[in-house]
Amino acid sequence: MPTPNTIKLSRAGAIAAPVLASLLGACAGNGQGLDANGNPVGAGGGAPPTTLTADFKSIQENVFTPICVHCHSGASAPEGLQLDEAHSYALLVGVASAEQPSLQRVNPGDPDSSYLVQKLEGSAGITGARMPFGGPYLPQSTIAVIRQWITNGAQSPSASGTSASFAVTTLSPADGARVHAGSRPIVVAFSSEPDMSLMNESTLRLERVLPEGLQEVPGGVTLSLARGNPSTVLVTPRQGLAPGQYRLSIGAGGGLVPADVDARALQQAQSSEFTVEDRP
Amino acid sequence: MSLRHTRPLLGLLGLLLAATAHAEPYLAVANGLKCGQCHVNPSGGGQRTVFGEVFAQSQLPAQHLDTGTDTWTGQLNRFISLGGDLRFQGTVQQVPHTATTNSFDLEQTRVYLSANVIPERLLVYVDEQVAPGGALNREAWGMFWSADHSWYVKAGQMYLPFGLRLQDQSAFVLTTSGISMATPDKGVEFGWEKGHWDAQLAVSNGTAGGSTNGNGKQTSLQASYVEARWRLGLAANINDSDPSGSRTAYAAFAGLKTGPIAWLGQAEVIDDKSVPPDGQKQLAGLIEANYSPARGHNIKLTAEYLDPNRHVANDQQTRYSLVYEYTPIQFLQIRGGFRYNDGIPQADAQHLKLYFIELHGFF
Repeated sequence: MPTPNTIKLSRAGAIAAPVLASLLGACAGNGQGLDANGNPVGAGGGAPPTTLTADFKSIQENVFTPICVHCHSGASAPEGLQLDEAHSYALLVGVASAEQPSLQRVNPGDPDSSYLVQKLEGSAGITGARMPFGGPYLPQSTIAVIRQWITNGAQSPSASGTSASFAVTTLSPADGARVHAGSRPIVVAFSSEPDMSLMNESTLRLERVLPEGLQEVPGGVTLSLARGNPSTVLVTPRQGLAPGQYRLSIGAGGGLVPADVDARALQQAQSSEFTVEDRP
Repeated sequence: MSLRHTRPLLGLLGLLLAATAHAEPYLAVANGLKCGQCHVNPSGGGQRTVFGEVFAQSQLPAQHLDTGTDTWTGQLNRFISLGGDLRFQGTVQQVPHTATTNSFDLEQTRVYLSANVIPERLLVYVDEQVAPGGALNREAWGMFWSADHSWYVKAGQMYLPFGLRLQDQSAFVLTTSGISMATPDKGVEFGWEKGHWDAQLAVSNGTAGGSTNGNGKQTSLQASYVEARWRLGLAANINDSDPSGSRTAYAAFAGLKTGPIAWLGQAEVIDDKSVPPDGQKQLAGLIEANYSPARGHNIKLTAEYLDPNRHVANDQQTRYSLVYEYTPIQFLQIRGGFRYNDGIPQADAQHLKLYFIELHGFF
């Protein structure tokens, strides 16, 4: 004999079953008016689908934007890796992997030692899951195109074109960041290739912030272009950074003004202050 | 399984049922338990409690292999407990206009270790993924319980409380919120448990394991009410750590048992202002039916829905899964199933068909 409770629950089941049935009957969008990435055609970024080619713009449009950005975007992007158009190149090329810092995410010219490729192929040595997480995994033909782009030097999207002005696009660590000693490269990315003859410790400064004022870091820094990423300058302290507050500034010193290889002066000085902490 | 063999385990289970208990969501719903009855983590997942270990041996398998009086409880001694989880998969995936691929993958091997340094009060816990690849720390925290176990404080790297802690980490409701067992964060959690209620408040860096920044923090708040045959919960998450904009997520989740079927449901809305150029609002939903025709057998039917951008029409995606889970003996499960994704016609990747068979070992 059913109890009142059983009857109530049977009713609940009678409600739950149609809910499942309605979800089962829910349809995917028909894609009308959208491009291959699900963006409205003609509403910015609504370009028609393109064939995947071995250049960054095509890889961004055909792989990162439609597939990876679903998880790798915004504040909660896994491992801090944002793969939207605004961030992806600067955070991939010549930048150490967070999971395996001995490997660069994209090592220009060397796809086999690029952690991005290893994660996409599910290589034996990767940390964590193969990407894209949960599948579908990229077909080998798509990975082959990404490999080819890296083999060709992992050129930036602006390598074939010219930007309107010379500006800083990325400062890493960002303003307010807290990083562990030696865990992150110090990177300044520009909109075009900087003239390295104008890039020195007076135009690109890394200083320690002390109560008595700014102090040059002990031993100074070396400045070099990221391999295969000529618009990105790597700032390497000659001695490890001690825990404390640091300020990274570009074009803020007065006097010599940084410029790009086309002699366009830096549009605006920029700086970031970050904290270096001891490793836990 | 003969009654003679199960009696000692059932006796132990009976004793343990009198105490507090936690589990995988559908098992928790089917048995009217809170997550923390089967897992040392009060919000679920990871290492099992003694109750969870006994439950896994006595209630899950179709047949219990007799081990006499040697019953694995995870306890190496009074203070130290060990657990583990291994998933090995063979998959076939089909995507339109792409060659079918098939592969064997070691999805994960995890080791759980906990030290009850002050029994019932202070627990130190580590969840380490040891394969594939290099070691990867998933959780590492210390937790202090109040004397009456009505509240706790947890600090370290942890999974955040937000909705159902599903086994399938690629479910829309997990990938859309960005809060899953693949994205632990460093922070502090305060938990409260009283009768049918439990609640958690966590404040974390908001960078999903990435480097911290000084722009803000992530706050997660969850409350749920658990009855023997149903439960209902609400969750909110506000991540203010990205200088380009905040991300807020709200979820409602529920469980219901009707006869041999355990139902799970979750709906969530996400407003991510950090996505260029103008932010993004998303909607995701899941409903799942778990039908257990006999001990050791479970059939899982799941329907999922995703609207990846609420300002854009015709871009919705769906995902359906049919999974059969067979637990022939204790600590060993075989899972086989099919997942079908559907999306806009012009995006091939949204039309994945995935077939899989998985060997799942756990203790």
